[in-house]
Amino acid sequence: MQTWIEELLLENKMNERAFDNLHYDGDTAFRVRIRRFGALLGRLCSNPTTVIGLIIIGLMMAMAIFAPWITEANVPDPYQMPRDWGAVRKPPGTPGFLLGTTNEGGDVFYGVVWGSRTSLQLSLYVVGSTMIIGTIIGSLAGLLGGWVDEFLMRLVDVFLSIPELIFALAIAAVLGPSFTNIIIALSMVIWVKYARIMRAQVLQVKQNEYVEAAKVIGDTKLNIYLKDILPNAVTPVTVQATLDMGNVVLIGATLSFIGLSEAGIAEWGVLVSEGQAGIASGRWWASTFPGMMIFLWALAFNLVGDGLRDALDPRTEGR
Amino acid sequence: MISKKDNVGQPILSISDVAKHYPIREGALQRVVGHVRAVDGVSFDIFPGKTVGLVGESGCGKSTLGKVVAGLTDPTSGSVRYNFNTQLVSISSLEKNKFKNFRRNCQMVFQDSFASLNPRHLVFDIVGRPLKVYKEVSGYDLVEKVVSLLNQVGLGREHLYRYPHQFSGGQRQRISIARALALNPEIIILDEPTSALDVSVQAQILNLLNELQKARNLAYLFVTHDLSVVRHMADSLVVMYLGKIAEAGETQAIFAKPYHPYTKALMDAKPSFDEGQNSKAKGLEGVVPDPARPPQGCRFHTRCSLATDKCGWEVDDVVRWLEDTPGMFESLTAVERKSEFSAVLSFSDESSAANLKQEMRSEKLPASMRKALNKVNINEKNVQIEFEPVEEILLREKDGRHAACIIEPKKVNQEA
Ligand SMILES: Nc1ncnc2c1ncn2[C@@H]1O[C@H](COP(=O)(O)OP(=O)(O)OP(=O)(O)O)[C@@H](O)[C@H]1O
Ligand code: SF4
Ligand SMILES: [Mg+2]
Repeated sequence: MQTWIEELLLENKMNERAFDNLHYDGDTAFRVRIRRFGALLGRLCSNPTTVIGLIIIGLMMAMAIFAPWITEANVPDPYQMPRDWGAVRKPPGTPGFLLGTTNEGGDVFYGVVWGSRTSLQLSLYVVGSTMIIGTIIGSLAGLLGGWVDEFLMRLVDVFLSIPELIFALAIAAVLGPSFTNIIIALSMVIWVKYARIMRAQVLQVKQNEYVEAAKVIGDTKLNIYLKDILPNAVTPVTVQATLDMGNVVLIGATLSFIGLSEAGIAEWGVLVSEGQAGIASGRWWASTFPGMMIFLWALAFNLVGDGLRDALDPRTEGR
Repeated sequence: MISKKDNVGQPILSISDVAKHYPIREGALQRVVGHVRAVDGVSFDIFPGKTVGLVGESGCGKSTLGKVVAGLTDPTSGSVRYNFNTQLVSISSLEKNKFKNFRRNCQMVFQDSFASLNPRHLVFDIVGRPLKVYKEVSGYDLVEKVVSLLNQVGLGREHLYRYPHQFSGGQRQRISIARALALNPEIIILDEPTSALDVSVQAQILNLLNELQKARNLAYLFVTHDLSVVRHMADSLVVMYLGKIAEAGETQAIFAKPYHPYTKALMDAKPSFDEGQNSKAKGLEGVVPDPARPPQGCRFHTRCSLATDKCGWEVDDVVRWLEDTPGMFESLTAVERKSEFSAVLSFSDESSAANLKQEMRSEKLPASMRKALNKVNINEKNVQIEFEPVEEILLREKDGRHAACIIEPKKVNQEA
């Protein structure tokens, strides 16, 4: 008896406090939304590992954006490694070659810096396109149901039954070695994940009574999808996309390492591959520095993705 | 079906013989193996400015009926007809424009105030949305219109830019009501609008609904499992049991003298003190049967304390009784039905069969059930049982009231 009354009182008190903190009188809708977004950022930044991830990502982005200012762009194609056949196998610290050179006179520092651009492109193209395709297909399956759902999900199951790396490898091998083909191969493999997540989310969200309520006021199906279903369903997709920004570079580097990318391109995986022959002879630098970059990139996005998952948790969101 | 002397006018909504069956699918091929008869032939009228209370236990099909009436799902059979300039037209055959008209005029408030408001929308978005859909007003006028709606439900301008989770349950239900009012409808379907609220808040919301009804001549379909809530709200009542109407009539008349034992049991059921959401009523023994296999005759006969031999006793009642009898059910191997009223029950041993035959004539079964039993024959391990077949017990009219019970209303009220 006593306890539930106490619980009720406590809950009331907490509600009152929440009301005091959130007195929005006179605020516009816009400012309230900004504040909600700010609160999300605040929750995100309250987690130290997430902050570390964000800092690493920030530095990587800066490096990608300012690459031409950090080291002079190679002409005519800046994504091609500059070759100096007069300076092969130089160790780190050699004047003009901060991180040393490869067997073929490639500047490791140049590869590390411009490789961040290549990686950013790779992950943005792959994650961007697969997220859109997966979201559309998953939504259609979840909304329409019936044979459309049946067909799309069989397709997804087929794709998911093959391990990601092997599948991407097979596609890239068939398409022939090039960086664009790696993007295509990865996109073909990854969209299914988003389709599956989105379908499950849509099936769940469309059960909510606010969807029914929107039907009662007579809103259109498209509006109900865009205003009620999509915004409430998309959170796990965002988290997965963040994680994949890292994973895609990891798999992409693996494919490059095997030689499915263009030779000589300023890409971390290619660079690791180029440097591996020298490791046995003690020339560790050509593989180690780009390898570290791949590791840091994947780690940073995984840290932020995990943080985002916690920050967007429906149990804590908006409270 | 409910005719009222003071309603000389036409109904605004007429529900006739509405049924809604949900298919039950099973197995990898999702074959349909049966149907949940959530609503199974219900008729009544809703009049302008009046409240119809729809009552019944959990799972009897109230919400399903509410959704059909609101036009959210099509009925399996029967029709909901809306009054278009004194013409009753079925809403499922309406052309787009006219359906839009119906849509505007028939709104709904849901039970769960949290689930029925989009958590990502501000109050302004929620209450203003219907107005945007029909492009009623925009810009500054929209804000003022939303504020005026909020004022009508006891909220104000300061609540415009808050999220639903920043309100109490009662306040959220007020927001839902404001949204329902936005299009100035003629009918509002209220699906248990207060059952999730504290008693004191419940009263406030009920008062608000009463005031709004008077001010705007609203018709309500008030769905609830709590008779005491509709007592002062509803002009007429529809009491549902397992998808069918058990009793219908004017509220006062029903409260003064219920014509159906189920209504009486509901009324006698005193809500217990620390009552949960769906606490079982005390005057009602036993569980509600599966709506996929509703009982024969009168659907209430499995729980009715006044049941007679003409109430629809059937093979399923014997099977249900066996299920509750330890030792007997385990030795039952097969039930071979000739009809709902006649079957051969096979047991693994002769003693169980003999036991059943004996029990079928004993005090352990209700006297009315025994009386309805035509035959109990035993043949080694098999027992043949046969009940007197009974037609479905339909809604009957008496003194302008409707009840689906074969015994005299006088008898219903004699027994305490
Ligand atoms: N979409 C559906 N698919 C299958 N069965 C359903 C569906 N909706 C409801 N039912 C079934 O129909 C029956 C009636 O459900 P309904 O929600 O209408 O009952 P209710 O009277 O509103 O109960 P409550 O008081 O619990 O809200 C139940 O047996 C339920 O399981
Ligand atoms: S017909 Fe009347 S008496 Fe018979 S079971 Fe039904 S409610 Fe009870
Ligand atoms: Mg319900």
